[in-house]
Order: sequence, then C-alpha cells, then structure tokens
Amino acid sequence: MDIFDLSGLFLSGAWGTLRLFLLALVGSLALGTLLAAMRVSPTPVLRGAAATYVTVVRNTPLTLVMFFCAFGLPILDIQFASDRGLNSFFYASLALSAYTACFVAETLRSGIAAIPVGQAEAARAIGLSFRQTLSLIVLPQAFRTVIPPLGSVVIAMLKNTSIASAFNNRELISAMRSGIEIRGDMVITILIATALIYLVLALGLGRIFDLLERKLVILR
Amino acid sequence: MIQHTSEQRPLVQMRQVQKFFGDFQALKDIDLDIQAGEVVVVIGPSGSGKSTLCRTINRLETIDSGEILIDGEKLPEEGARLAKLRSDVGMVFQSFNLFAHKTILENVTLGPMKVRRLPAAKAKEEAMALLERVGVAHQAQKYPAQLSGGQQQRVAIARALAMKPKVMLFDEPTSALDPEMINEVLDVMVTLAKEGMTMVVVTHEMGFARKAANRVVFMADGQIVEVAEPEEFFTNPQSARAKDFLSKILTH
Amino acid sequence: MKKITFLTAALAAGALTLSACGQEGTPDAGGGEGAAAGDAPVYEVAEDADFSESDTWEAAQSNGTLTIGVRFDQPGLGNRPAGADVPEGFDIEIAKLVAAHLGFAPEEIEWVETVSANREPFLQNGTVDLVVATYTINDERKQVVDFAGPYYVAGQDLLVAEDSDIAGPEDLAGTSVCSVDGSTPAQRIAEEYPEADLVTYDVYSKCVTDLQSGSVDAVTTDDAILRGYAAQSDGALKVVGNPFSDEPYGVGLPKDDQVLRDAVNDALDEARDNGYWTEAFEYTLGDSSGVEQPEVDRY
Ligand SMILES: Nc1ncnc2c1ncn2[C@@H]1O[C@H](COP(=O)(O)OP(=O)(O)OP(=O)(O)O)[C@@H](O)[C@H]1O
Ligand SMILES: [Mg+2]
Repeated sequence: MDIFDLSGLFLSGAWGTLRLFLLALVGSLALGTLLAAMRVSPTPVLRGAAATYVTVVRNTPLTLVMFFCAFGLPILDIQFASDRGLNSFFYASLALSAYTACFVAETLRSGIAAIPVGQAEAARAIGLSFRQTLSLIVLPQAFRTVIPPLGSVVIAMLKNTSIASAFNNRELISAMRSGIEIRGDMVITILIATALIYLVLALGLGRIFDLLERKLVILR
Repeated sequence: MIQHTSEQRPLVQMRQVQKFFGDFQALKDIDLDIQAGEVVVVIGPSGSGKSTLCRTINRLETIDSGEILIDGEKLPEEGARLAKLRSDVGMVFQSFNLFAHKTILENVTLGPMKVRRLPAAKAKEEAMALLERVGVAHQAQKYPAQLSGGQQQRVAIARALAMKPKVMLFDEPTSALDPEMINEVLDVMVTLAKEGMTMVVVTHEMGFARKAANRVVFMADGQIVEVAEPEEFFTNPQSARAKDFLSKILTH
Repeated sequence: MKKITFLTAALAAGALTLSACGQEGTPDAGGGEGAAAGDAPVYEVAEDADFSESDTWEAAQSNGTLTIGVRFDQPGLGNRPAGADVPEGFDIEIAKLVAAHLGFAPEEIEWVETVSANREPFLQNGTVDLVVATYTINDERKQVVDFAGPYYVAGQDLLVAEDSDIAGPEDLAGTSVCSVDGSTPAQRIAEEYPEADLVTYDVYSKCVTDLQSGSVDAVTTDDAILRGYAAQSDGALKVVGNPFSDEPYGVGLPKDDQVLRDAVNDALDEARDNGYWTEAFEYTLGDSSGVEQPEVDRY
C-alpha cells in the first residue's frame, strides 16, 4: 500500500464524513427550526414538548444517542433501508440530527428573542397567521441574526460525525484507523493528515458562514 | 368640514371593555362607537391607555370583558378568522415596524400576496401605486433601514392600505419622528381622511386634530373622560383633567 | 417538579439505550479468566541479567521498572477487567516471561495501554520499552520499530453461533460479518470477501453483542482474540477454526537496539525449552494441543 492508496482511502473517508454531515445538516436544521417554532408557539403542550425534548437530548452524550439509534431502533424494528450499511448511515444521521437540533433550536430561540416584538406585531396586524408570521418574518430574521453562533453549532456537528465510525459508518476516522493499521510507520503523518482534513472542511464551513453573514446581514 | 357617507351601523363598536395587566386596570368601562368614514383622535396623558385601546381593536391586546365589533362582527378569539379580521383593520405603529429583511416593495406586497392571495404582478402594481401616492415609489428596492423615519412611516401607511382595510389605526405615528418629517406624514394622513377613510388616531398633533378629526376622545386613567368636536375640545374642555392636560401641552 | 420530570425522562431514555447495548451478556468483565486453568505461572527472574549495552535496558534498570505497552481490551490476550489494577492474558504472560529474562519481576513492570494508533509512536519516543500487544510483524512497521519473535502466529478466523453452518470465509457471501473499524481483518473482508456484508464498530464487544442477538452472522478477527470471547460465552459461540491469514505476533522494540532484540528472542527460545510458553498459553487461552510456538525470526 503506497501513499496513493492512502490518499484514496482518505478521499473516500472524507466523502463518508461529508455525506453524514450533509444529511445531518438538513435534518438538524429542519428539526431545530421546528423545535424553536414549538417553543414560541401559543400552545402550551407544544412548548412543553419541545422544552422537554431539548432538555433531555441536549444533556445526553451524543454517543448514547448514537447507541439508542444504532442498537435501540433495530430492536423496535425501525429500519430505513434493507442494506445494513445504508441503514447504519441513516441511524447515525438521525442521531446527529436529533442531537444537533437541540443546539440549533436554542440558538434560533436566542435569535427570535433578539427580534423586536414590533416585527411580529406588524405581521399579525396585516393578517398573517401565526405560522406565516413565524415562517415569513420572525424565523428568517432570527436565522440571519444567529448566523455566527449557528456556524459554531454546525462546525461542532461536522466534528461530531467522527463518532459514527464506532457505529458501522466509514468516514474519516475509519480511514485514519485503516491507515494506521496498514502504515504503522506513518502514524503521526496519518494523524496530522486527518486533523488537516477536518480543519480544511471546518475552515470551508466557517468561510461559507462568513459569506452568509455578510450577504444576509439585516440593517436596523 | 369633511363630508362622509355615514351608514346606519358603526364600523367599530366597543362596549363595556375592561382590560387588566395583572392587577392594574388599563381600560375601564370603554364604550365607543366609530362610524364609517369618521376620524377619531384619541388624546390623553402618558399611561392613560390610548395605545392599549388602539391595540384592542385589532386584538393585539386581548380584553378581559366587554365586547368589540368590527363592521358588526365580534372579534374572533384566535386563528384564521381573527387573521382575516385583522387584515380589515390597518395599523400604523409609532416605531414603523417595517419588516427589516424585506425591501420596501416586498413590505407592501407581502400582505396582499400571502393574505389576500393576490398574484405577484397585481400585488406589485397596486403596491407601486400606493408607494407613488405616499411619495416613496423611487425607494421601492431599498431596505427600511436605508430610509428616513418619515419615509419609513409613509411606507408603513402604504403597507396597511395595501390590505384595503375598513378602518385604520394610528398609534402616535409621528412621535418618533424628527420635527421636519412630521408634516410629510401628517399630510398623507389628512389626505386619507379627506378621502373618507375611517381612522382612529392616537396623537398629540392638535393641528391634525383640528384639520381632519370629527371627534376627539380624551382619556385618563384608562377611562374615556370626554368626547367632543376638536374645536370645542381644545377651546372649551369640560373636565378638570382635560383642562389640566391641555394647559400642559399648550405651553410648549 | 419540572426538574424531576426531566430527570426521569432522561433516565428512562438512558436505561433504554443501555439495555439496548448491554443486552444478552456482553462478555462479563470479571470473567476474563474463563479459559484459565490452575495457578498463575511463575517465571524465574534472572538475578544476574546484564544487558547494559542496551540503552533501553540500562534506563529501565536504573529506574527499577520496565515499561511495557499492552492491550487492555482484548479478552484472553491483553485485557484489564473493570476494577482490576493489572491486565491479564497471553500477551501479558509473554511480557512477564520476557521481563523475567531481562531481570524484572512482575511487580517491576509498569503496564501502559497501547492501541493501534500509538504503538509505534510510544516505542519511538520512549514512552514504553517494549510492546506486547497483538502486534503483527510487517514490513511497514519494521521501518520504524524492531520486532523480536514471533511468539505466536495468529490467523484471521470467524466466531459464529454454536449451531452456525459457516465453516470458513467462503461461506460468508450474503451473510453479515462484524469486525473493528479500520482493522486489518475488516480490511481483508472488504477486499477479499466483498460479497459479505461488513459491519464495523469501534470495539469487538459490540460485534459480539450483535452476534449474540443474531444481528450479524459472524465476528472476524485473529483467532486468539476470538478464543477469548468463545471461552466466555458458555458454549453459545464457537471459533470456526479455519484461519485464513497469518498474523505473526511480535514483541515490538525501539529501532536498532540489537542487544535488547537478541535478549527478547533468547527469552522466547528459552520459554520453548523450559515450558514457560505452554504454561502461559494454557493459563490464558486454554488447551494448547495442536498449537505450536513459532520459531523466532532473527532477521
Ligand atoms: N404589556 C403590558 N404589561 C403591563 N402593563 C402594561 C402593558 N402595556 C401597557 N401597560 C400599562 O398600561 C397602561 C396604559 O398603557 P398605554 O401604553 O396604553 O398608555 P398610553 O396612553 O399609550 O401612554 P403613552 O402616551 O406613554 O404611549 C400604562 O400604565 C402601562 O404601563
Ligand atoms: Mg402609547
């Protein structure tokens, strides 16, 4: 096995990490937004449910959430695909989404709190429903105000994908482990290379969030 | 004086309205009828409940007892029917409250498109006509923060008018403005009044009251203390509270 | 009141999760000596050992402790049961007999956990003096460390349910096989038996849990490791016994310490002659019939 094979290994590892990240990004933003919306809804049951979910899941280690998804859901006979590898991919994405959604929701909630009440009042005054007020006026503004902290949440999630390798997912950490196993003479190089790939991905994300922040900034 | 086609039934009816904030009673025994086409100015000391009165009319504040009817229909509690009713009651706020992330044009087209389900082209056409009317059409593509206060408030009026409301509420529309911008907003309001719009205006601008109002409602401590024609009210107030209040605002 | 509700919910969720992973007997941490028979072997410590030409030995000698890197997580080979101070297993016994030859009693050994990622670095920077940690001798590793031994030739094998029909890797097509993420056995399955559905976790215990619950059909890694799990399963699991690779386990040494390497090789040769090796094997991995100590390779 030479350096070329090793880079192939890392390339497929990076793709594994990226696809986990992308699905979990969509999932966590969707679920996080829903949770944030529930937390500001006028219905006490929804508020309570969202608050309980956030409190429980946010204070559970991600590894445990992964355990629940990877070993608990099959027992409950919840499967997403007949292919085992694909199933594990969905379980891990679900765990990451469920976990990260709490942080997205809390971040968004702080963003919602930062929007002047007059914005929602003006929306209601022209006859927008609660859902429209939230989706057209409050959440878009909340998202824009929380882009920097949301960036941190998303970058943390990128790094959290590394836990998935312990649950039948092949990603960067798997590639690193394989690399170490076959090239014991290059352990330090392989560790540094792994760190560098995460760094590049995270810096890229940071850059995207910087651009978004500049592009979507709200003048007041 | 303004000629308005008065109908039989009042457009806004408030009957024995009570409103509490905790133990504090912000509105007491409010009875007020506003006829179609009528312009009512609400005046009174700070904290007397003017804003609260205004906001109960489109249920931005709920009431604890009594009833409020718009065009004969009782204000619904919540949900789609309330939203529908609100769209018939335009509101202009002291702090403008334009949607900060939307352009001027989008601010005005949003309601017609999302609530009245107007096609985008039609909504835009009407919005541009309204912006033209309030004199900010050339700013249509800008964002609210890029406009002066007076311009923002005129956009806010256009945004409310775009819903073709039956009645317009104004809560101190000029008190957040620099003095040189007050008139540009008042002029728009006077024109509206002359065109027969039913209006409830909380303001201390006596010039406007004299020029455009049919009645002045004077409030103190959550109650309506006096109702009179503007000229009558300003020159010959009946209650001690009104006399006291007027003496204070007239000195500066 | 609110807090208590949250706590209960959290505990319930946690319990569910834990019961999900710990079901049906993950190898019992205290049962690491499932195959152990009789008393622990005692290796005579060489009183007059002198390898002062070896820098590593010299430093260890003046410290009074020999530092050895071993696995803490592989039953039967190198395993530290929960609550125990010292690890146990075949690797540990080999380490002890080598240490005895070098003049160190078991109490003079400091055990350091090593995993795949840190064996070479630990030897290179002197964190450990020796590594006895299911350490397969190969050419890439020889670039940066030296090896004495091999002291055992493991082969990749399969752990299956007692009533399984799987008799070798050829039978794996269409079945699911579990191994540790990134390990050589996992890579071999992926490359040479792509028809098998490979499942990977971070530790073998998860694989064994899956095997016991029927979620996977086989667990694969070096037979020595599998033996440890089979021994703990009360007959529910068996090792197929048809190894399909050669994994010569060596004692890892710092590069270019020829004196130390010769000494460790001598220790292994001696262990063959005086029966220490067999004692070590039978004490930790069970019946040694049919198993032979390999010749050391003094490359
Ligand atoms: N959300 C609220 N919670 C508690 N008290 C309130 C709330 N809104 C208003 N109040 C109180 O109700 C009273 C009437 O308030 P309101 O804003 O209607 O007065 P106003 O006549 O509009 O005064 P100003 O001229 O200062 O705008 C005040 O004493 C105010 O402190
Ligand atoms: Mg007010």
